[in-house]
Amino acid sequence: MFQQPEILATASALARHSSQRQSLVAENIANADTPGYRSRDLDDFAALFESGSGFDLRATRPSHRILAGGTAAPMRVIEAGGSMSPNGNDVSLEDEMLRAASIRQDHDLALAVYRASLGILRTSLGRV
Amino acid sequence: MVDLTQSFGISASGMKAQAMRLRHVAENVANVDTPGFRRKLTTFEAAAQGGDGMVRLGPDRLDPTDLPKIYAPGHPMAGADGYYAGSNVNIVVELADGREAQRSYEANLRMFDQSRQMARGLIDLLKR
Repeated sequence: MFQQPEILATASALARHSSQRQSLVAENIANADTPGYRSRDLDDFAALFESGSGFDLRATRPSHRILAGGTAAPMRVIEAGGSMSPNGNDVSLEDEMLRAASIRQDHDLALAVYRASLGILRTSLGRV
Repeated sequence: MVDLTQSFGISASGMKAQAMRLRHVAENVANVDTPGFRRKLTTFEAAAQGGDGMVRLGPDRLDPTDLPKIYAPGHPMAGADGYYAGSNVNIVVELADGREAQRSYEANLRMFDQSRQMARGLIDLLKR
């Protein structure tokens, strides 16, 4: 009956992507002094979007049903370190801060798009 | 949202570890003139291997560097040759370590604040 509009699915995928990245960056910063720790990050959202594989729900059992525009993003964790310090740790606080700023921007963008799309939906339903 | 609540815990574990490190620095500085005092070293380790990304302090270790011999024949702890063992705390090293702990603490605090604001943005979507 109700098919979720594509734009809402994309916006929520971006929000989910940035909150998972946020969790990884928080982990990197918490472990900035742990010997042997390697900095980690997620694949770029744009790359994930273009590959198209990121969002599709997968039916892994016969009982699974796929609704149009579903989102489940299996995201790949990549190593994202800078230069290595003598104790084997490659977290750079400056890089992490940069990442945090871009995460914040992505998340704000996703929420703004989601809110605006909801507004358009409401208008089309005749409520203001 | 689960990722964001998880990153609260990770950032908090980072802040706790850095605060303990700052406490060790304070102990070392306070005991810079205590005869026979060895400086405490702070070690970090990941809380669980392949676990939730939290960080914690490892077991306390003492700096094995030789204690400096100080010549003071009138000192109550001086031996027959007039020397007593001082402490191996180097105040410049402690200050640099303290400054680094402060910087890492602030980075963790900023990540905590950012996670909080992102979660708040999500909740604000529901308010409409």
